[in-house]
Amino acid sequence: MEKDTLIMSFESSCDETSVAIIKNGKEILSNIIATQIKSHQRFGGVVPEVASRHHVEEVTHCINLALDEAKVGYSDLDAVAVTYGPGLVGSLLIGIMAAKTVAFAHNLPLIKVNHLAGHIYSANFVTDLQYPFMSLLVSGGHTEIVLVTAPGVFHTLGDTRDDAVGEAYDKIGRILGINYPAGKKVDQMAAKGKDTFNFPRAMVQEDNLDFSFSGLKSAFINRVHHADQIHEQLNKDDLAASFQGAVLDILSNKTFRALKQHPVKQLIVGGGVSANQGLRKRLAEEIEKRHMDMELVFPPLRLCGDNAAMIGAMAQIQYDKGDFAKLDLNADPSLDFDME
Amino acid sequence: MKILAFDTSNKPLSVAVFVDGKVLAHIESTEKKTHSVSLLPDIQNGLQEAGLTMADIDLIAVAKGPGSYTGVRIAVTVAKTLADTLNKKLVGVSSLKLLAANGDKKHLLVPLMDARNDNAFAGVYVTNRDGRLLTVIADHHTSMANLFETLKQYEPNELEFINATPRLQELIQKQFPEATIVMSEDSLPDAGKLAKIAETTRVVKDIDNFIPTYLRLTQAEHDWYAKGNKEDKNVSYVEEV
Repeated sequence: MEKDTLIMSFESSCDETSVAIIKNGKEILSNIIATQIKSHQRFGGVVPEVASRHHVEEVTHCINLALDEAKVGYSDLDAVAVTYGPGLVGSLLIGIMAAKTVAFAHNLPLIKVNHLAGHIYSANFVTDLQYPFMSLLVSGGHTEIVLVTAPGVFHTLGDTRDDAVGEAYDKIGRILGINYPAGKKVDQMAAKGKDTFNFPRAMVQEDNLDFSFSGLKSAFINRVHHADQIHEQLNKDDLAASFQGAVLDILSNKTFRALKQHPVKQLIVGGGVSANQGLRKRLAEEIEKRHMDMELVFPPLRLCGDNAAMIGAMAQIQYDKGDFAKLDLNADPSLDFDME
Repeated sequence: MKILAFDTSNKPLSVAVFVDGKVLAHIESTEKKTHSVSLLPDIQNGLQEAGLTMADIDLIAVAKGPGSYTGVRIAVTVAKTLADTLNKKLVGVSSLKLLAANGDKKHLLVPLMDARNDNAFAGVYVTNRDGRLLTVIADHHTSMANLFETLKQYEPNELEFINATPRLQELIQKQFPEATIVMSEDSLPDAGKLAKIAETTRVVKDIDNFIPTYLRLTQAEHDWYAKGNKEDKNVSYVEEV
């Protein structure tokens, strides 16, 4: 039996401060998440300077809780990992400085992790990954289709040309009077309504794997404004269902297009929008309809949003490869897979 | 006592290792380097130069602001994490007080941080007989006009403005032609002096809740309060989930 590897991981790319202790990339010993949602709700969305300030307030507290909950000490750790991008630069920097400090203070190797890779590897806590596998990344900052051909080897097949899908949810949520983050509420309303408004499905006819959500968002906003002008009452549940119907058509169209080009045994969905019940149901139905022999993997709800556990899962792969960073590590706010 | 001191609250970076009253290592950079990149390697090099390791250090001293928001967060995050993770003592010192330590002991010292649009972070300090800096007017964010109004009660030729930018210099000269003005490039923060001040400063009791001294709300919060909103004491804005 080989020795266990324990990694302390940090995630602070947006509005969650999170520190986790992960064993062998597979087992969560602790995963402390301090969320700032209630703070940013005052402003209707994430304010970067406010987010950075909260991270400084939380970071050592989260470290200590993570150690306590995992019942381990610094001498038990083998490495320290941290998200270095993409994300908000001021937010990223707090996790990076704290992680570098812990690594320096205890002479531990430092591992820099791509936030998006972390979301993909949330699935490592749910199933045994079989390469190659396909992943659909859907969150407030990202909408990507990524083919993972080997541990830690990523190929971006499709990306959004404008808004991220979660961002579109927040924007139309505001029109419906729902505070950020709007995804969960829109999802619930959509389940009660009917797709009656026929919003556009952008780019679904195009033979590529990219997404666009700004046209859908504009169509939604225009429809509501038009109704306001002529004092027409619109059913909000139907509006939500029509918006979500278009989103699911777009996501599913592009995902199955990718799967046709690259048949794989697993489809991994990650990111905040992977918590969406409509999406979960739709992808399962599409797989059944197509009689595909493919495992569909969603992270547990707690691991859909930003968390440090997923960073620890990805970090284990880099640890095994000896892929370490130095103490001069900086944030890379616009990091993507092609740059690494 | 062995002290590791550092300041990244503005463009310059300063790291010092201070042992029993002597600076054993001093690393400074004035050019616009990225503090997030340099700070830990500079701390590592400073300790090496002093022939020490972190285990030898008794106290971490940090300039806690006011200053560049990102800059002070970088130093404060490293300082609080170091102190917490290694069970070291932690001291936070005003970044303006540290600049005042560069001033003439006979002067009434007015350290400044240019906060744009003719505003500044400023404090007023004097040096006592033991060479310690005492606060006359606490650090605050102010328009230069209001600062001048406050300073009218003092003899202009006793005033020494420290860390002026060309724009602040222009304003000060117009108001107090007799005052001494020290420009930013001639008044670099010195972590050796920070360590010395830290020796006589109260140790931080609650490291988790140690945060930078921003002296300003974020614009978003300012606007939110301006709309008549009140902080709800029953709501925790950050919560563990």
